[in-house]
Amino acid sequence: MSAVRLDGIVKRFGATEAVRGVSLDIADGEFVVFVGPSGCGKTTTLNIIAGLESPTSGDVYIGPDRVTDWEPRDRNLGMVFQSLALFPHLTVFDNIAFPLRIKQAPAASIAERVRAVAATVKVTHLLDKKPGTLSGGEAQRVALARTIVVQPAVFLMDEPLSSLDAKLRVDMRTELKRLHASLGATFIYVTHDQAEAMTMADRIVVMHQGRVQQVGPPLVIYGDPANRFVAGFFGVPAMNFIEGELRGDGDGMVFESPAVRLELKGGEATSPRAVTLGVRPEHVRLTRESTGGRATVNLLEPLGDETLVFLDYGGAGSLVAKVDAEDPLAVGDRRGFTFRRDRIVFFDTTTGERILK
Amino acid sequence: MIRRRHVFAIVRHALLLAWTLVVLFPIGWMVMTSFKDAGDWVSWPARWVPFVDFEPTLMNYRQIFHFGDTGALRREQTEQAYNIWKATFDSVVIVTVASVVSLLLGSTLAYAISRFRTGGPNYPYTVLTIRMLPPIVVAIPLLIYYASLPEAFTWLLGRRVEFFDTYYGLTLLYIVTTLPYVIWMMLAFIDEVPRELEHAARLMGASRLATIRKVVFPLVASGMAVTLLFVFILNWSEFLLALTLSQPKVLTLPVLLNKFQSAVEGRLYGPQAAIGTVVTIPVVVLGFLIQKHLVKGFSFGMIRR
Repeated sequence: MSAVRLDGIVKRFGATEAVRGVSLDIADGEFVVFVGPSGCGKTTTLNIIAGLESPTSGDVYIGPDRVTDWEPRDRNLGMVFQSLALFPHLTVFDNIAFPLRIKQAPAASIAERVRAVAATVKVTHLLDKKPGTLSGGEAQRVALARTIVVQPAVFLMDEPLSSLDAKLRVDMRTELKRLHASLGATFIYVTHDQAEAMTMADRIVVMHQGRVQQVGPPLVIYGDPANRFVAGFFGVPAMNFIEGELRGDGDGMVFESPAVRLELKGGEATSPRAVTLGVRPEHVRLTRESTGGRATVNLLEPLGDETLVFLDYGGAGSLVAKVDAEDPLAVGDRRGFTFRRDRIVFFDTTTGERILK
Repeated sequence: MIRRRHVFAIVRHALLLAWTLVVLFPIGWMVMTSFKDAGDWVSWPARWVPFVDFEPTLMNYRQIFHFGDTGALRREQTEQAYNIWKATFDSVVIVTVASVVSLLLGSTLAYAISRFRTGGPNYPYTVLTIRMLPPIVVAIPLLIYYASLPEAFTWLLGRRVEFFDTYYGLTLLYIVTTLPYVIWMMLAFIDEVPRELEHAARLMGASRLATIRKVVFPLVASGMAVTLLFVFILNWSEFLLALTLSQPKVLTLPVLLNKFQSAVEGRLYGPQAAIGTVVTIPVVVLGFLIQKHLVKGFSFGMIRR
């Protein structure tokens, strides 16, 4: 069994609290991605699972065992580091063989297993080289091979793709996902790249300032964010935020800001409160009619299949819309705009928490 | 522009050549003297060219190595019969053991300081201040301790343990005096080893010691070679402590070198030059052997990631 459970993990470094009470159940065989900006505590959390750091309080369980005080080597983990951490003085073969030799496997089985694993990740032709002579992608594969060779129950990965160039990174995402499917092991992956999290994860754990903000499948995180931080962290370009006031008079509610006024069905009578409306660029529609608001195109960013349109709509900043590339638009055009009503979200402006779900 | 660069190159090389001559002259003179017969050691004007100004002879080497015809200057005429074979053996054993032990101890200590901040942030400087004390200050106090320790051991263990004029007495001293250098040099190298490499090794099942042995030390091998050479030379040429705390039973080469004088003829420059030449050879050979590491080791920050 290789489920991982975190129970109230807190980690302080001197006066700073890097992790502030993280509790999480990770199922056996799950691909979980921790994502968040630098310094959000995701790497510290991973190191605590690995045993490289010990938590100030809280417990780590792997399978049925409480491993909080266990040495890293007793936890049956494999880890791929951001720097890959290949041993520069050893050949690729010896790097992959390292964990087997430490465990004193017989020499014949070492050679056999190293070759088998090298074939899986396609590094057989590199076995005699030193890590210093490898390209980024090759080094990446070798690091994976070295981790896979001992068949750990849980794989930990700390931004392993960050040193690769963009194209290779996208390819490796696919490969990692395939690898996960074929190994059936639990993967715990840390990244600051929301695209990596979206594409690979079974479940995403969004962290910010040492706390878990939301846990869920990628599409839930994207479409149903728990708070303004999560909403803003996922999606490129980011979600549009419009600050305004929400009032309810019994049979309907009204969102009102200097530039935008929206009437919403249902809802209860509430006293006016400060809220932030969030809408993703793909849910902003441009119209020729003057229903809804009016805006002026001030910038166009063609992506090929779609075009990003930056609009002056009378509020702070620009409103970004994602439209079909075929749309004939030019800077200076006046258009009406509407939002897809079922995809609008509201946040409390002071707390940032999602309201009116 | 090109011409100007040529001029610079010529000037630079001329200066370097001149400096090389300044550095090598005494060594060359020593080697030459070691092949001169007694009459030519201090003759004026100096005799420069072998076979023309003077007839090279192996006389001095015969004397120090005690073989063949030792000529007019017989062993019995020197104050005592000094055997370079014995002194070489003593030097090699003491210096090698002391240097290797010091390297291993110092490297592990440096690891502890680097990774666990053992002794607090100022500890490396504290270690260094120990070396700022001139040896002459500690030589006599050490002599007193070396003389009285056997009594202390007799009282404590009921067994006499000698330190003065013993192999381990001098070896121990050389380990202690070179340890601060080893710690300092190795600290610089070990600080360079990325911690993630150790984390990786530990996750793969390696214990701390295995990690040090299989990952850290191989990566700082060049640094260790440089440090070993440095410490070896220090110990190899150490004179004061050896003079004070050893001999006549244990006698290292620098002390022997100083003893080569005759009551009749004063300083025996020829045999001394021969010993000097012999003493220089291991250092040069060692330097060549680890030359590859020297280049790497002296350019700190050599670890390719």
